[in-house]
Amino acid sequence: MRVTTRRVLLLLGSVAALMVTLHLGQQVLECQQVLSERRHRLMRPKNEELVMVDANRVEYRYSKDMPLIFIGGVPRSGTTLMRAMLDAHPEVRCGEETRIIPRVLAMRQAWSKSGREKMRLDEAGVTDQVLDAAMQAFILEVIAKHGEPARYLCNKDPFTLKSSVYLSRLFPNSKFLLMVRDGRASVHSMITRKVTIAGFDLNSYRDCLTKWNKAIEVMYSQCLEIGRARCLPVYYEQLVLHPERSMHNIMRFLDISWSDTVLHHEELIGKPGGVSLSKIERSTDQVIKPVNMEALSKWIGHIPGDVLQDMAHIAPMLARLGYDPYANPPNYGHPDPLVVNNTHRVLKGDYKTPANLKGHLQVTQNTSSSH
Amino acid sequence: MVGKLKQNLLLACLAISSATVFYLGQHAMECHHRMEQRPPRGDSAAATPGTAPRANGSAPYSKDMPLIFIGGVPRSGTTLMRAMLDAHPDVRCGEETRVIPRILAVKQMWARSSKEKIRLDEAGVTDDVLDSAMQAFLLEIIVKHGEPARYLCNKDPFALKSLTYLARIFPNAKFLLMVRDGRASVHSMISRKVTIAGFDLNSYRDCLTKWNRAIETMYNQCMEVGFQRCMLVHYEQLVLHPERWMRTLLKFLHIPWNQAVLHHEEMIGKAGGVSLSKVERSTDQVIKPVNVEALSKWVGKIPADVLQDMPVIAPMLAKLGYDPYANPPNYGKPDQKVLENTRRV
Repeated sequence: MRVTTRRVLLLLGSVAALMVTLHLGQQVLECQQVLSERRHRLMRPKNEELVMVDANRVEYRYSKDMPLIFIGGVPRSGTTLMRAMLDAHPEVRCGEETRIIPRVLAMRQAWSKSGREKMRLDEAGVTDQVLDAAMQAFILEVIAKHGEPARYLCNKDPFTLKSSVYLSRLFPNSKFLLMVRDGRASVHSMITRKVTIAGFDLNSYRDCLTKWNKAIEVMYSQCLEIGRARCLPVYYEQLVLHPERSMHNIMRFLDISWSDTVLHHEELIGKPGGVSLSKIERSTDQVIKPVNMEALSKWIGHIPGDVLQDMAHIAPMLARLGYDPYANPPNYGHPDPLVVNNTHRVLKGDYKTPANLKGHLQVTQNTSSSH
Repeated sequence: MVGKLKQNLLLACLAISSATVFYLGQHAMECHHRMEQRPPRGDSAAATPGTAPRANGSAPYSKDMPLIFIGGVPRSGTTLMRAMLDAHPDVRCGEETRVIPRILAVKQMWARSSKEKIRLDEAGVTDDVLDSAMQAFLLEIIVKHGEPARYLCNKDPFALKSLTYLARIFPNAKFLLMVRDGRASVHSMISRKVTIAGFDLNSYRDCLTKWNRAIETMYNQCMEVGFQRCMLVHYEQLVLHPERWMRTLLKFLHIPWNQAVLHHEEMIGKAGGVSLSKVERSTDQVIKPVNVEALSKWVGKIPADVLQDMPVIAPMLAKLGYDPYANPPNYGKPDQKVLENTRRV
């Protein structure tokens, strides 16, 4: 290539332009950083942490960085049993379904899903960052204040795990327990007990199984996305057949020290530091009993023949989760002696719902969870 | 041939980089301008008593801060009101958040349904818990969607449908309820095609009925919290006599007077000034100085049968001081300054 003055000038010009561009770009970035820092520095919440005091005057501090536990899954999958067993641990408090957390999560999702709305919100300064801060604040207040203080706070609202990836981002030290159960059993339970769930047609096993499949698929894939270190699928059948083994695994996953109380949640119903139940929740009458096998295979013989035939097609998640879609029922496993004993006592009639917890029958329509 | 290609390529690169340089240069200048123009707004920790002053001078925010809520039926001058306040160096309202009225409405639904209230109480989600959660949510949005300031303000027209609730959860908050001749508001939403949930833009009658219901709700709540916390601002009076009304307003809010509130049009897009949203429907109007353009545009546009039934359709008109049979009523004579502004506009 011939070296002409023109060429040299061109080269120098482009190099200069490049350097100026880089310099200006750096300046703009710096400038923006200082501005945003300024903005953040200038307004701080009066109380950075939530402080709650329990009956013994012990102080607990809560913040978005606390190790929260979120329990969820498709309704009728053992979510209440799971939270009751954890509630029995002296250092853990889950409490009842808040009902509103899934609703605000759904609202939040709707706001960012619509591209147009997201644009309008950004124009208003209501960016993802701002919305996330508001969500953290709201959810923390509800979780912290709707029950007794405890070292480890936990929340059980079945459909929150449809937003588990989002929650894992909002609360960086949170962990998730996804309750998984044979869809046929869950569906049979909601239909026979008439548990209203938005979007599920309780007149049709086919429809409910389809919706079950859709829901568990979403929750399961998010659980996988979050990763084994933070999200643990818990199989209901394994939990009730082998509670000790399962609970040891779960406590290890949660990094919480063991307590035998978790295997006897039925002894701590309504006690301080124990299991607080709601009159109107649909599983209350079951969860006052010790861990037992009553509910495992009740669905046998109740699902219509045509649905049974199309099972693998209607609910592919069954196979994916390890349930044989053609086995009625699959062999879930053999129960521990503790569970055999419990089931025996339950069937004898040892556990009746106490008067103060009877109530949901009076409420004519009870929506279990929002979709 | 190849040489020419190379040269053209180099030229193209130069052109692109010059354009980039130009753009970045502009951006950098703007940024520096903003940095200089903006001394940290408002006082530091001294604002809230009982808080240890922080080394970096941050102002703490809490539910006890003196918030200002502006609202009313849409097309009643709410944006003008917030823009004029935004022009004050110590106040920041910012754009409509859009989400605040929604969460307030949802909360109201939970509280209104007695069945749901029972279920929530059973779950430990009592009124106190809900209030804490709402305070936390609303504060985060209000504080973080705009620049910091000593007095934070929020303008979402329908938020005032929960006026009494807001007054309870924010005990030091004050409220400005924008009131306007319903005929003018309705004409504005219909002619400008401003979609408002529940308002049928094909019918003056329907819109006036809905206007009446909405303003009645908000008016009653304003009366309920009392004159020390809620002030009615008549749009017509604000545009005819801006200085008088802004002085009254700022006194009501316990905020010192500043001449800037009478010249909000000079603070558009500036740091510490009026931040406007491209997608809001009043933006094109509020960039102009206070003027009387919009006062009587509705005359002659309302169908005769609606005019005849006016006091029955919209009894709030009379209640708020607007003669339902006068087309238009005599709102008053504008100040000299406003006349000038209108001529310029």
